[in-house]
Amino acid sequence: MFGLLGPNGAGKTTLIKILCTLMLPNEGTALVNGYDIFQHDKQIRRSIGYVVNEERSFYWRLTGRQNLDFYAVLNNLTPTQAKKRINLVLEITGLSPHADKMFKDYSTGMRQRLAIARGLLAEPDILFMDEPTRSLDPTLAQQLRDFIQQDIIKRHGKTVFFSTHNMTEAQMCQRIAILHQGKIQTCGTIQHVRGLTPKKRYLLKLHQNGFDYHKIILSLPFVEKINVLKPEAGSPYLPLEIYINEQQGNMWQLIEKLVCAGGRVEACHPQELSLGELFSQLTS
Amino acid sequence: MDLSNIALAYRKPMAFVKKSFISATSYKLSFVMELFSIVLSVATFFFMSKLFGAAFIPYLKPYGGDYFSFVLIGVAFFDYLGIAQGSMASTIRGGQLMGTLEALLVTQTEIPTIVISSSLYSFIWTSIRVFAYLVVGSLVFNMNIQSANYGGAILILILTIVAFSSIGIISASFIMVLKRGDPFSWVFGSLSLLVGGLYYPISVLPPWLQKISYLLPITYALEGMRLALLKGYSIAQLSNNILALLVFAAIMLPISILCFKYAVKKAKIDGTLTQY
Repeated sequence: MFGLLGPNGAGKTTLIKILCTLMLPNEGTALVNGYDIFQHDKQIRRSIGYVVNEERSFYWRLTGRQNLDFYAVLNNLTPTQAKKRINLVLEITGLSPHADKMFKDYSTGMRQRLAIARGLLAEPDILFMDEPTRSLDPTLAQQLRDFIQQDIIKRHGKTVFFSTHNMTEAQMCQRIAILHQGKIQTCGTIQHVRGLTPKKRYLLKLHQNGFDYHKIILSLPFVEKINVLKPEAGSPYLPLEIYINEQQGNMWQLIEKLVCAGGRVEACHPQELSLGELFSQLTS
Repeated sequence: MDLSNIALAYRKPMAFVKKSFISATSYKLSFVMELFSIVLSVATFFFMSKLFGAAFIPYLKPYGGDYFSFVLIGVAFFDYLGIAQGSMASTIRGGQLMGTLEALLVTQTEIPTIVISSSLYSFIWTSIRVFAYLVVGSLVFNMNIQSANYGGAILILILTIVAFSSIGIISASFIMVLKRGDPFSWVFGSLSLLVGGLYYPISVLPPWLQKISYLLPITYALEGMRLALLKGYSIAQLSNNILALLVFAAIMLPISILCFKYAVKKAKIDGTLTQY
């Protein structure tokens, strides 16, 4: 599972459309499943499914099954293959009981599932999804995420490439790319992305003895931010969340400075930045 | 091409026809009203022809002299011009507006197949309407097509569709890039209506307008169709009309395909292929 992250207007949809052969770049090229978008667009369309995040992309006066039947023909499935695949994708998406209802009578969640069913019709190697949970409520969005992870990826072994700015969804990915203003800022595993940022967060516990920690800590140029957390009831220690830029200094310098000034440091724990924080940092 | 490819080449257009038929018949009242409008149109032209009575109209002599037959064939086949010219553009426009175009374009079907197949239902429906016009006209209103050369009429019809479709493809190219407002189709359609010989023979026009009419395929299509159906002209007698339509198709079809390829590429680079 590959996640394309980026703020609104970063170019996620444009990139997906380029990869799905719906758009051509002004310069450069891209390979999808080993095929060049300029030279092998037919082969690319044979190896991908595109889940259009647009409920209007179906024919509303046709049933779900009739819609799938139409797209099956356009994807070169024979009548026998089409019948088999349609039944299978309807089952995978849980739409079998509603297959003969008109599309106009589907709920938003059902429409989204039918879009996924259509994307899976031709047994693509890669399934592209452009913000598939954008118009869903939190419960439906979670159901869809579970469905993508459990059924499409684990059970059916598909590669899913999807765009999102939802960090919960990004956490599901083996690899992510962060796109900002049309440029890939970084691409790799979440661990790799974490390693790229010089900004680190530490939880520091200091003895509360009337000492002015704030003044000393903020005097250090590599400290970006301090959050004073609520101490545990009855605890003599003051917990602080400190963000430092490790390109300019490190935590040991800070501790040394505090200790030299008479402060007493009880504990210091590095903390992982959340993906949301990484995302903000890389796109700010 | 093996058998499976032939079957597929047939199944794709049929899938579009089936889809359009299901959609059209799901609007039951509209479907019935369309059927009824055929009878109303025929009756309207019949009563118009009564206005002229049995008076001899010299302009209509080459076509048998009956205004009702003349205008009915003109109106019936002018529908083909409208469909051939407009249905491909409206397919693209409709797909852009409805949001279906994007989903169609990522399937394993080429854009020309999508565009041409999408207009097939309109052609079939128009053919049914034309057939009904002729049947109602001849059975109810005594239109005389007993000596018709149907083979010649079908040949003229096929050439007409091919020639007019090239206009439709150019029109679709404009819509793909401009989204709304297709100047080519507007100029061509208006001129065809004015000087193509739909409601009156082109011989009533001043000579300079007649010269313009000879540049339009509708002139040859309507004249050929009337001569084949009303006068029973043979293929040899229709050769001028057939040749004119062939020349028009031979010139315009490659130009239209080039235009379309250019429009698709431009829309893909501009990122406006599915915008409206």
